[in-house]
Amino acid sequence: MKFALLLTAAFGLLTTPLFAADEDYVPGPDAMVKEGVPQGKVTQHQWKSTIFPGTERDYWVYVPAQYDGSKPACVLVCFDGGGFVKADGAFRVPTVLDNLIHAGDIPVTVGIFINPGVIPAAKEGQEARKNRSFEYDTLSDQNARFLIEEILPEVGKSVKLSANPDCRVTCGNSSGGIAAFTVAWERPDAFRKVISHIGSFTNIRGGHVYPALIRKTEPKPLRVFLQEGENDLDNLHGNWPLANLQMEAALKFAKYDHQLIMGTGKHSGRHGGAIFPETLRWIWRDWKTLQP
Amino acid sequence: MTLTKPSLPMHHTLLSLSVASGLAASLALPLAAQDMPLSQILVEDAGWELVVEGYEFTDGLTTDAEGNLYFSDVKGGNAVFKVDLEGKVSEFIPNAAGISGLKWGADGRLYACVSKEQRVVVFDKDKAVTELAKEVRPNDLVVTHDGNLYFTMTPTSEIRRIDPAGKMTIVSAGVVGKPNGIALSRDQGTLAVSDHGGKFVWAFRIEADGSLAHPGNYMTLVTPAETPEVGKGDGMTTDVHGRYYVTSAEGLQIFDPTGRLCGVLPAPDPTLPVVSTCFAGPGHAWLHVGNGGKIWRRKTQTSGALAFAGPQASEVVPK
Repeated sequence: MKFALLLTAAFGLLTTPLFAADEDYVPGPDAMVKEGVPQGKVTQHQWKSTIFPGTERDYWVYVPAQYDGSKPACVLVCFDGGGFVKADGAFRVPTVLDNLIHAGDIPVTVGIFINPGVIPAAKEGQEARKNRSFEYDTLSDQNARFLIEEILPEVGKSVKLSANPDCRVTCGNSSGGIAAFTVAWERPDAFRKVISHIGSFTNIRGGHVYPALIRKTEPKPLRVFLQEGENDLDNLHGNWPLANLQMEAALKFAKYDHQLIMGTGKHSGRHGGAIFPETLRWIWRDWKTLQP
Repeated sequence: MTLTKPSLPMHHTLLSLSVASGLAASLALPLAAQDMPLSQILVEDAGWELVVEGYEFTDGLTTDAEGNLYFSDVKGGNAVFKVDLEGKVSEFIPNAAGISGLKWGADGRLYACVSKEQRVVVFDKDKAVTELAKEVRPNDLVVTHDGNLYFTMTPTSEIRRIDPAGKMTIVSAGVVGKPNGIALSRDQGTLAVSDHGGKFVWAFRIEADGSLAHPGNYMTLVTPAETPEVGKGDGMTTDVHGRYYVTSAEGLQIFDPTGRLCGVLPAPDPTLPVVSTCFAGPGHAWLHVGNGGKIWRRKTQTSGALAFAGPQASEVVPK
């Protein structure tokens, strides 16, 4: 296969690929800065949590140019936020929000990009205790409470955030994907829109049970977007494509508002990033009917 | 509406190529810590081998720099036993009954929890015993390279520390319900403690002054169906790649450095509990478990982290 690809390249034959390789998923025009589109402001902050004791982390807040304080803004929370907020990343969320808010495709939305916590080393030469897996992969309300009781009130001091759960989205990749789902699953009173890319609905810390739980739990008023790739992981924790297909089947069975986009990518944010503007349009397709 | 696979128009691809240099970096999302399946640890066709048998209840498994194995027979024996690299078993320290935890210090002395006598002691090179604490309920212990001894007090929900000057302090009370097994991360910055009465293994940060801070229920044990909240976490050890090995009701459970379960090795004799574990033998590559009156070992692709050899960074598992 590699040899064939090399040959193709060597002869400069540009054919339409039968499938998209992971690298073929690239940010589209809505992820590029456009002339005449007002740009929001991104600020960086640090947070020491009490709900995750001893942890420290960075987070970033994007406030759109269209926010004027006259009414609350909708909320998009991204886990592993540092990757989502990067201007040259796979997602470039601030630029995407600039463009889509300007076009009227999505509401005025504040982006909150949160990194997972670490417990820093006490002595030089020692490693920080990484809390990402604990925060993201655990099936509990702890991460939801961290958002609701710590981060949202803090961000809310400087910008009015919507209290309407239908106006609040959680988003993440991999373990951040299942974390996005867990927050809404645990606290649908606070978050009802979920975007999961290459979500780890696998047995890292028991997350493989969600399809079963979804089928036997009174349906919750969530809107769930899943992106997955056929070439995603198959490892000790589980098989990512199969796990996401199980999620899709369970969400369908329980009549959730949901969508799975199955591509051909690997365990990366490339595909999710390439389609992110379309994803936001889908998740916000009826935003004009909502009261932030 | 439906989303379709993104079209990849040429101008788009070129545009992306212009930022290709930044692409790899920009995609460096922390998507996954290193995955650590059991296949990285186990050796094909190399199962459990019997090391010793005929004891009442083996405990306190530990090793020295050479890889000799030391253990106690906490319920029946009257000695610290040694298994050398040739497999020869001997009485290493006679007249030492009721020991439930053993560790070598960087000072070349052997530290012990003498649960039967409710004291913590240390044996020096000529095997003379010195009492470090009395009227305590010690279960298991670790000794850091800089000479801090931490031990669990299972019945009182305490973790205590004896500093190099011999002063004892309570460093955790009431956090871990039944603190039992205890292990150091390879860099000796994190202390992990298993809960015999719960389902978690707790992680603490060891502060510069030797106190403990920021407990987190970092690892979740697989538990028996009949006691889903009680995993019987017991003796622990760590390897050079930062994994934690925890004996439990369900066998030996292995966790990666970020607290994710790598897998479970059922007890070699499933009718008896595994309560103590360490790496020993040539290259410290043999994983040992105390399993009732027997000790078993198996060859692995990894090797034990040795606290007395000093703190070190965890090694990445070679591909």
